[in-house]
This record gives sequence, structure tokens and C-alpha cells, in this order.
Amino acid sequence: MEKLEALKISSMRPRSNILDRPLSKGKTEVSQSIVALLFSEIVQYSQSRVFTVPELQTRLHDLGQDVGTRIIDLYFVRERSSKRETKLTQMLLFVKTTVWKNLFGKEAEKLEHANDDERTYYIIEKEPLVNTFISVPKDKGSLNCANFTAGIVEAVLTNCGFPCKVTAHWHKGTTYMVKFEDFVIARDKQMEEK
Amino acid sequence: MSTYYFVIVGQNDNPIYEKEFSTVNKELRKEDHRHLTQFIAHAALDLVDEHKWKTANMQLKSIDRFNQWFVSAFITASQIRFIIVHDNKNDEGIKNFFNEMYDTYIKNSMNAFYRINTPIKSPMFEKKSEIFGRKYLLS
Amino acid sequence: MSRQASRLDAKKVNSEFLTLTYGALVTQMLRDFENAEDVNKQLERIGYNMGMRLIEDFLARTSAPRCLEMRETADRIQQAFRIYLNIQPTISNWSPASDEFSLVFDSNPLTEFVELPPDLTNLRYSAILSGCIRGALEMVQLEVQCWFVQDQLKGDNVTELRVKFVRRLEEVIPAGED
Repeated sequence: MEKLEALKISSMRPRSNILDRPLSKGKTEVSQSIVALLFSEIVQYSQSRVFTVPELQTRLHDLGQDVGTRIIDLYFVRERSSKRETKLTQMLLFVKTTVWKNLFGKEAEKLEHANDDERTYYIIEKEPLVNTFISVPKDKGSLNCANFTAGIVEAVLTNCGFPCKVTAHWHKGTTYMVKFEDFVIARDKQMEEK
Repeated sequence: MSTYYFVIVGQNDNPIYEKEFSTVNKELRKEDHRHLTQFIAHAALDLVDEHKWKTANMQLKSIDRFNQWFVSAFITASQIRFIIVHDNKNDEGIKNFFNEMYDTYIKNSMNAFYRINTPIKSPMFEKKSEIFGRKYLLS
Repeated sequence: MSRQASRLDAKKVNSEFLTLTYGALVTQMLRDFENAEDVNKQLERIGYNMGMRLIEDFLARTSAPRCLEMRETADRIQQAFRIYLNIQPTISNWSPASDEFSLVFDSNPLTEFVELPPDLTNLRYSAILSGCIRGALEMVQLEVQCWFVQDQLKGDNVTELRVKFVRRLEEVIPAGED
């Protein structure tokens, strides 16, 4: 019996190189708890490398950016038949729906435009997957580990030609504040006039 | 007889991958166009950046011409530019080449050990580009 | 920061997120330590912590009785891989004394898009897995050794994890409880 197994194994073909495999179809799933658990360990590890809450948030943000840069083209090819996004509102909706769904299995709850600042948008997520296993101690009250997700969002928008800064805050669950650079707003207005 | 100069340009106008395809044997080539084609490709970047907000397409097709040279371009969702400077018309081949290289580029950039916007040094990537160049550009 | 103890749920998510997040962690660690051996240790430790937390959920979910011998343990580990990572390693190469076996993987979501650079051959990219097995088994009073025999990232056809029984640990009964 064991010999048979060994035989089967040795006759397997070697793993093909990553460029020879088809583009990821996004159909393979893993348990959400293992992802959330890994993330809580990532937070623990990151905390061991820094001294302050802002430093920790920056670290998580950076890790998120790394992830963000790698999903853009994949999602546009797979979910949008290789059509890019040139309009700001559509781009934000792409993040709220497609990006969230592919990463976390559900859309973010809301997308809002700030009343008092045309450069600012809010994406609202009630219960971020990344915060599932993290309870913030009282002395670190402002810490929101969803700054990792903020990093993803910032990387996606910025790399798609909509440079911005994105931060995560405790408000209605978690609110991601997206602040675009002035020229992004100006360009979008110009496009609408045409 | 045809020559193609292919370059992938990062977000900071930095070339991250270059390759020349030619039906002419290197030793027999009368003149080396490399500097000229590089220059033409670089000059076309502004045109690409202008074009990219006017369409949602990635294929920007032929965007410029300089003497016998044509410039064809492709822009990815993440604003990486693929440019080919070529001396004969081959729209269909170039289109297919861009698509295949985009697919390859995506897979390469999903590898954690590749950092976006840095030179692509993977030998497998080089091999892929050779295969697609031979298949779509030189055949 | 405390780790919140809560019942894990059975929801599934796209594995790409796990692959890319794990990749971002490993490459960040390589920048932090500049030494693959230290990174291996950190990854193993992270896995160990995760294993310690996962076992409770696993036992609750499967209502599995205590394993009395290694063959049962091997089956449970295989089952855990199916539940959490959606992969089913083959159990093989038992030692004559039945105290040592291999888990053989032909795929692994952690390494799905990954190609190891030639200068990082001493990195155990998936070290989190061996840590996880150790951590989980220690919580049920089993001390094991766990190491990689083959690794697809290093050109092997499969990834093979070896698990060896070391000893049964004394159950620690909290004071006041009988």
C-alpha cells in the first residue's frame, strides 16, 4: 500500500513554472478563519518591530500596498474584460465592489463623497475581515489594523492613475478616508465636460 | 526584413524590460538602430499618457510615426506601458504579442519576490518574450 | 495586544488573498532580517501560534475524540488541511515503528504564484505549515518534530513534510481543578 503511494508520487509531473500556468481564476478557496488568524499574527509580528501605534499602522499599510499592486491587472483582465477605468467615480466603485468581493468575499457597505471637500471620499466597511481576531487594548485605542486594507486601496487607486492617500478610522465600523490629489479631481471634471 | 524594439516602461518612465526582435541576423545588420528606437519609444511616452485618458482600451494601436518607424502602444490597468517601435505594419501580430506579454507580466508581478516597477530579470520571462516574439512578430 | 478568543466560522474566501498576504509578509521579513535562517524561525513561530489557536476550533468542529496513536493523528492533520486550506496531502512513508510519516502535497496555496529567487535556497518559504502542526499537536499533549524533506519551490516534484513523534506531554491540570 505504502509502496503504491510512493510510486504514484514519483510519477507526478514536476510543478510547472509560474509563467506557464494559466492566470489565476480566483476559484480556489480557503477558510476565512485561517486568513484572519494569519493576519492577527502578522499584526503581532509587525508590532514586535516597532515602538508606536503610527509606526505599526504604517507597517501594515505598507504590507497592504504590496498586496494592492499585485491584484490590479489580474482583476481588470478577469473581471472587466481588460477594459481600464478612466473615470473617478467608476474607479471607486470598482474598488468598493470588485476589489472587495475578490479579496474578502463581499462588497464594502458604502461609498460616500464628503460634503465639505470634493477631494475626499469614504468607503465604509462594517466588519473588516482583517479585524476579526484582533482586539485593541485600551492604551492603543486609535489603532485600526484595517490600515492594511487602506494600503491595498491606496495602491490600487494610485497605480490606476488616481493618486491618493488612504487611511482607516473607527467610524461606523471602519471608514476608509480616501483623499485624492487635486489634479485627479480637475482631470475628472475636464473629462466630464467633454 | 523587419525589426521590432519592445520595451516595458514603469510608472516613473523607467524601462523595466527591453528586447529587440529582428529577421536580420545581428552580424549582417548594416546599422544598429537600438539608440534610435529607444529614443523614439521614449519620446512616445507623452503621447501614450495623453491617449490613455481618452479610452478605456488597453490596446492603443499605432500612436506615432517617425521616418520608417511606427510606434504601437499598450497600457495596462496599472499604468505600465508596453511600447513597440517597428518598421513594418503588423497590427494583428502586435496586438496578440501585447496580450500574451500582458498575461505573462501579470503572472510575473504576482510573484512576491518581484517588486512592481523594478527591472524584470526572470529568465522565464525572457523565454516567454522570445517565444511570443517569434510567433507573433517575426513569423 | 491580546488575541481574541472566538469561535472561528466556516466561511470561505478566495485563496489569492492568503497567497499574496503571506508573500508580502515573507518578503517584509527578508528585509527585516536579511537572513533566511532568521526568517525561517519567525515563520515557524507564527505557524506555531496559529496552530495553538486552531486546534480548539478544529476539535469543536470535528468533535474528534483524543487520538491514541500516530495513524489517527495523521488522519486528523490531513483533515485539518482540507478544512482550512482546501488541500489534501497524501499520508505516506510510515516508519516501521509507526512513529514517523510524511505529508505529501502536490499543491499549496501559500506558494501558488511564487518562484524562489536563486539566492534564497535556504529559505523555507512554507515554514508556517510545520510550525502550525507542532503548535496544534502540543495543545493535545503531543510533542512532534516536523521538517521539510522536499519542496516544490526548490525544484522537487512535490512538497513533503515529515512528522515524527517525540513524546507524550504531561497534561497540565490547572490548580483547583480536579
